[in-house]
This record gives sequence, C-alpha cells and structure tokens, in this order.
Amino acid sequence: MILSWKRIYAIFQKDMKDLSKNLFVSSIIILPIMMAFLYGAMGEATIDLHYMIINLTLASVTAFIQCAVIAEEKEKHTLRGLMLSPASVAEILGGKSLVSFILTVVTLVVCMMITGYEPSNMLIIVVALVVSMLFYLALGTILGLLSRTVVEASVIILPVIFLFGFGSMLMLLVEKVPALSFIEYLPNIQLIEIAYDVEAGLGFGDVWVNLVVLLAWAVVATLATAFVYKKKEMD
Amino acid sequence: MENIIEVKSLAKVFGNQPALEDVNFNVKKGETFGFLGPSGSGKTTTIKILTGQLLQTSGEAEVFGVKNSAINNGSYRRRIGVLSDNSGLYQRLSIEDNLKLYCDLYDVSKQRMEEVLELVNLGNEKKKIVSKLSKGMTQRVLLARTLLHEPELLFLDEPTSALDPANSKQIHEGLRRLNEKGTTIFLTTHDMSEAETLCNRVAFLNKGKIQLLDEPKALRRQFADGSLTVELKNGQFVTLPGGAEGAEEVYKYMSNNEVESIHSNEPTLGDIFVEITGRELV
Repeated sequence: MILSWKRIYAIFQKDMKDLSKNLFVSSIIILPIMMAFLYGAMGEATIDLHYMIINLTLASVTAFIQCAVIAEEKEKHTLRGLMLSPASVAEILGGKSLVSFILTVVTLVVCMMITGYEPSNMLIIVVALVVSMLFYLALGTILGLLSRTVVEASVIILPVIFLFGFGSMLMLLVEKVPALSFIEYLPNIQLIEIAYDVEAGLGFGDVWVNLVVLLAWAVVATLATAFVYKKKEMD
Repeated sequence: MENIIEVKSLAKVFGNQPALEDVNFNVKKGETFGFLGPSGSGKTTTIKILTGQLLQTSGEAEVFGVKNSAINNGSYRRRIGVLSDNSGLYQRLSIEDNLKLYCDLYDVSKQRMEEVLELVNLGNEKKKIVSKLSKGMTQRVLLARTLLHEPELLFLDEPTSALDPANSKQIHEGLRRLNEKGTTIFLTTHDMSEAETLCNRVAFLNKGKIQLLDEPKALRRQFADGSLTVELKNGQFVTLPGGAEGAEEVYKYMSNNEVESIHSNEPTLGDIFVEITGRELV
C-alpha cells in the first residue's frame, strides 16, 4: 500500500482550518489544561495526579476530537465525498488522526509543563504515550463512525472520558471486588504502571510487558476501526 | 460503441421492500443517459449501486467492465464523478478551501479549479464561506467539485434541482460541452425539459422497474396520436386528427389562406410518463 503524503496533508490542513473555527470541539483542550493549573497549584503532584491529567487528555482531547471530527463528516455528508475520492482509508484516517495527534501532543506538553512532570526516562514515556494515542485515535474513530451527529458523539464519548480519564480511581474498586481485576489491563492503568516503573529506575527490559499490552489495545482497536470503516463505506 | 455501464437483472430489496426489480440497461461511451422517475422510484439506489456505495441483492452491474463491488478503489474513483443528494461541503470553509482539498486529493491544478468555478458561474465568489451560500450556490459548488478532475463518467443525481432557470441553462451548456469532449453522463432528473435537452436516451423508472427506454424523440413519436394543431390567422387554434380527414381540413384552411402555423402534436416526456405509469413525475 502506497500512501500519498499530499492527500494526507490536504486532509490534515483542511481539518486544522475547520477545527480552528469549531470552538464546540476545539475548546475541549481547555479541560485538561485547567485541571493541570488546578492540581499544579496544589503543590508537588504525585504520579497518580500527573497521569490523571495525562489520561484525561488522551480520553478527552485525542478520543473526543477524533470522534467529533469524524461524526461531523458523517453528519454533513462530507465523509462520503472523501470515500468516493482516490484517497484510501489509511490516507483519510491518517490525515484526520494527525490533527488530533498534534493537538494532543501540544496539550500534553503544556499540561506537563504546568504540573512539572519530568519523567526519569523520557523515551519510555514517549513510546508509551504514542502507543496509547494510537489506541485513543482508533477508539475515537470507531465512536465517530458509529455516531450520526456531533451532539451524539459528544454524548457517546462521555463513558470513555469517565472510564479512561478517571479510570485510576477504579483501581480502588479492584481491591474490594476481585472480579474487576481486568481493569488493571486497561490502557490508562498500564500507562500509570509504566510511569511508576520508570520512576523506580526500570528500563525497557522491565516494562515491555506493559508496552505489549498497550500495543495489543492499539492493534485491536485499529483492526476494529478498519472493520467499522469498511462497513460504513457501504450504505 | 463500447458500453461504459452494463446492468443485467439488477434487483435490490431493503427488508421486505423491493427498491429495484429486474433492471436492465447499458450506457454507451460518450452518451448522456437519463434516468427519469418520481421520488422513491429507485434512481438514487441505482447510482449508489453503480458507484460501489451499495451492494445489490441480485443481478449484475459493471462500470468500465469492472463489477461494481470492485469499483471502490482509487484508480476507478478517479475516473468517476458523483453528485448526489447526500453530497456535502465543509460549511465553515470557503468555496476555494473546499475545492482546494479536492484539487489535492485528485492531483488537479489550481488553474483547473478556476475553470470549473467559471463554468458554474462562481468565479467571483470563491472567497465566500459555504454556510452563507444559498441552496442553488451550494449545488453549483458541489457540481464544480464533481467536475474538478474531469471524470470520464459523471453520475449526476438531480444536478439542477435547486437552481434558477439562468443557472440551470448555464450548467446545461457546461454539461453539453463536457459531453462533446467525450464525458459519459448518467443523469437522474424530474425535469423533463432537462432530459430532452441533454439526454441521448432516457429510461423511465417506476416502482423499481424500467418501464420504457429509448431516445426522447423516438418516444415522443411512438406516443404521438398523429393529430395536428393549426393556428389560424384570426388567433384561433384548431386540433385536427391525422390521416385523410385531417389532411382535407388542413388543405381547406390553406386554400383560404387562413393558416398562421401548423404543429404536430407530440406528447412531452412527462405526458408519456403519466400515460405509462399513471403517476406524475414529482
């Protein structure tokens, strides 16, 4: 499969311009930044606190923006135009994901600067965050494809923001209800575990299992995205 | 002449509701083919099947000699242009930004964008934001986008439905020029004069079935009753039957130098549609 950078960039450019005029969607980046200010002002933040903001950014900025821009393309019948053009699935979703990806990176950097998060091993954290972003982009795309309107998308994304954004609080439940132990394998919890390991001075050789779990989430979600997209390509 | 579209025994059922039944037709290269029928007759379903957006329940549909199920790939998409009732534009962006995106997707020059904007009479409006456009202007932008990459085959679903007569005329001229250059056009419309003006052949679709298929002229002749209307110099109109009886009457009026004009009474495509289906084309 040969990807055309020109087509990916054209979709990215269009989405950037469109999103800059769509405050309903783009203003979501304020949410994690405000939380970062709030918690940053409370003194030295813990890993759990840093990752509450990071996970909230991934769920609200990455997944929501992706979900909303895809849902709007469906609502306004513009996705059909892209599907009927020579752009491939990878080019369309690649271009659209690039916008959410860049906004997420900017939001994460701003939040980390506000809360003063400086990981001991930046490379591991960057790899873990990028793999996590792939998962959230795929999740946002699926939900966007399943939504009929932007309003529907903004409702359908709420459980995602709750589960993944504030999911670390659910860990308290795992101790009381063992049946919920699967929560430990959620991508947001894996990310926190990696962060703790990194701060404990562990390297790639020690966190690879968590990275593989994260990657598995990303791969499964990407395959599911391709399946849903193919389904939606047909009326 | 080579067939660009071939449809054999095509059927589509939604739930228990048949949308298309045993539809057979072909469209030749360079032809403008009209698909005429009222709302819900299956026109859009046919376009969706032919463009790979929908799969048929049974039967065959080929475009460029390729099965419709396989047409969903970049190289074929580049050869077709689709304007349908569910085509949309980016409302917050300008006309120019909307078209620029498609210039890049189809690898088309910005010069071509200017040409199509002129064709749809929007050359001076390109900076306008789409959400501020009237329905007619939006339709013209969509048409410009469809024509941007000079497709070999155009699917146009009611292309002038929202346009005023002046803009419709301009679009018709543009489509005629494209057709003269070799573009094959598959057109659905309610507008009988549009069909008569543009189409080499038309098919009447009613309740998912093709009722008639021929050249507009041939259809009108076939359904003509042979009668004549004579306009007399005193302003009166007289309808006369065909054959010897009518000829005698015409001769009489002509001998007396009373005739202003004589017209054969051919039905319009709309009249024929009503006669065949018992339904109006709305």
